[in-house]
Amino acid sequence: MCVGLSARVVKINENGTALVDASGARRQVSAALLEELEPGDFVMVHAGAAIAKITNDDVSETEELLKEYL
Amino acid sequence: MDIYTKSDTVTLAHGAGGKQTSELIDRVFKKHFQNPLFTADDAAVIDMEKGRIAMSTDGFIVSPAFFPGGNIGKLSICGTVNDLACMGAVPRYLTCGFVIEEGFPMETLEQIADAMEKTANEAGVRIVAGDTKVAGKGQVDGVFINTTGVGIIPDGIRTSGELAKPGDAVIVTGDIGRHGCTILLERDDYGIEAEVTSDCAPLSGAVQAALRAVPDIHVIRDATRGGVGTVLYEIAGQSGVGVNLDAVSIPVDPAVRGVCGLLGLEPLYLACEGRLVMVCPAEKADLLLETLRGCKYTEGAAVIGKITDEMPGRVTMTTEIGARTLLAQPGNELLPRIC
Amino acid sequence: MSSTTDHNNGSSAKRSALEILKNYDGPAVRIMEVCGTHTHEIFRLGIRRILPPSIRLISGPGCPVCVTPVSFIDEALILAEEHGCTICTFGDLVRVPGTKSSLQKARGTGARVQVVYSPADAVDYAEAHHEEQVVFLSVGFETTTPSVCLAVKSAAERGLPNFSVLTANKTMPGAYEAMKDSTDLYLYPGHVHAIIGTSICEDLASRGVSGICAGFTASELVTALAVGVTRFEKGEPFFVNCYPRVVRPQGQPAAVRLVDAMMEPCDSEWRGIGEIPLSGMKLRDEYAAYDARVKFQLPKVEGRSNPACRCGEVLQGKCLPSDCPVFGKVCTPEHPVGACMVSGEGACSAFYLYGG
Repeated sequence: MCVGLSARVVKINENGTALVDASGARRQVSAALLEELEPGDFVMVHAGAAIAKITNDDVSETEELLKEYL
Repeated sequence: MDIYTKSDTVTLAHGAGGKQTSELIDRVFKKHFQNPLFTADDAAVIDMEKGRIAMSTDGFIVSPAFFPGGNIGKLSICGTVNDLACMGAVPRYLTCGFVIEEGFPMETLEQIADAMEKTANEAGVRIVAGDTKVAGKGQVDGVFINTTGVGIIPDGIRTSGELAKPGDAVIVTGDIGRHGCTILLERDDYGIEAEVTSDCAPLSGAVQAALRAVPDIHVIRDATRGGVGTVLYEIAGQSGVGVNLDAVSIPVDPAVRGVCGLLGLEPLYLACEGRLVMVCPAEKADLLLETLRGCKYTEGAAVIGKITDEMPGRVTMTTEIGARTLLAQPGNELLPRIC
Repeated sequence: MSSTTDHNNGSSAKRSALEILKNYDGPAVRIMEVCGTHTHEIFRLGIRRILPPSIRLISGPGCPVCVTPVSFIDEALILAEEHGCTICTFGDLVRVPGTKSSLQKARGTGARVQVVYSPADAVDYAEAHHEEQVVFLSVGFETTTPSVCLAVKSAAERGLPNFSVLTANKTMPGAYEAMKDSTDLYLYPGHVHAIIGTSICEDLASRGVSGICAGFTASELVTALAVGVTRFEKGEPFFVNCYPRVVRPQGQPAAVRLVDAMMEPCDSEWRGIGEIPLSGMKLRDEYAAYDARVKFQLPKVEGRSNPACRCGEVLQGKCLPSDCPVFGKVCTPEHPVGACMVSGEGACSAFYLYGG
């Protein structure tokens, strides 16, 4: 339906939207669900809205998990 | 002295066969397609050398007619040139037919003809005959173009979708899906912006170089509507073989990947207009790659998979985790009027 | 389709997690995923093909289009055909069969059906076409529901009299309870829990229902599964958040508050499972003007699905798509009999497209 995609915040607009960039593809999305967003932050985008602020790095995430649990 | 009245737009009178038709031919055709073979008679007469002739025709109705990387004119030359090149032919002569909507700006038509001239010169082909019809407003959208071309196939060269053999390498001549992605973005239905340009390009030069280096390339196919994925399924069917792709080897421009990610599209099914799929004996793959990478428009050539005797007629994908799945066949969402 | 553009080069992490999975020799374990995107990615990556037979991955009711009952399409068709509304919808719903017809078929006979990428696009459409009554078809779980609320809020702020939503939004906790005896472990949907946090996962673990919360890259999925089977082997109930870069224990409180202010729980029917009490969400009374059921006084609709279709059992993980008698024969992505074959996130569609 609407897969989540990570994207970098390019610009925050005054009307609660933000311009995000997913490896070169840019779109306006709603930023109304998140507070304290800044250009350069990474967000997870779903159905036209940024739903979470994230780190764009699944490598250290999975390596930490492996170290701790496996 | 210029005895013709200048017009800003194409009118029905321009298609009627009289004085204004002559104006159109002068301003658009004679001016841009200048070569001694361009006929003023009913048909062009050409001395052809002996040999097998390849012949192809294509219609072009792309919307929008102008897009980053080209326009319908450039596309109309590349499409037919590339189809001929896929058979191993050296493209020689093209005809072009225009159906133009009443009210179409003359200047835009000239831009299109100019692009056709430049592309034809680059590809080393001559446009020898043309035709123009003008249809009433709303009866055609802007301008539709048809090109037909002939070329000569050198002795000893034979390529066909039915010649793929298990063990062969599968090569694509550059990053995929750029034309389809460009058109999609130009139509601006999705509110997405990205810097993607069409891969529209004439490839006969690169193909000639490739065949000189590797005369026994088995298959050369132009990936247009339906993209590389569709061509691979066709080859699998025609040759009765399986195609196994390596997911991480498939070259995709990051912006195209981003657009596909936002929209849930598969780059393998986005149209290209300057990308070939080549299938060659495995031991020749390195030489073929090196040759292609040294040619204009095919610098990004890459091996993306191999032909197998397993699962004939199917295209499979070895995924990032090393598992083998089917490449999903495209759904109904292929874009209309992509070329 | 590739789900993210993250750097998937955690090859060292992937390889050792892969090796752990391939070499697993612990007790047989059933892992149920309840997320349409997980369903799709697991099939696309071919994860089942590298797992030993002792690890059984089950696709549960995670595809929001698939668990939406047939009656929802029937209601949408009433709005389109009897009330002349313009239906704005996610693409997946267009070809889902209703009792007699589909939105795609209705479009062929003149109904206005507009595919949108987000609910906000539907509001923009309504503003640009004030002569049309626009209804957005709202399906989805907790990840999507905040977007619908933002859309309704926006429509209210703009004072649009021609926008409303037909809701079939659902929440996961009821499904987790309903399905817990069908599985040994849950593979929790990363983005749902990005919104609602992980306290419910911890709570279920304390009651003996283990789980891991996973992301969507190949690396994240494989690592989460490896963590899951390794902990399972130890024998104690557990919950591990394997998506900490996106999922925080407290979730996104602002999103939760927004939904709570505008919607309230209601009973909801899940295709294949039946009614799960308080597992749906509907607009609160003060937003009745934006609730299409109220605005257009829709009658109660009893939908009927094709009796040969086994979507319901597929959704509970009780049978494989290939066990369904119409799978691949009468029912294909081009001619779907049930929702599971239409949606890009349906198990039947994924099974058909990528191989079982």
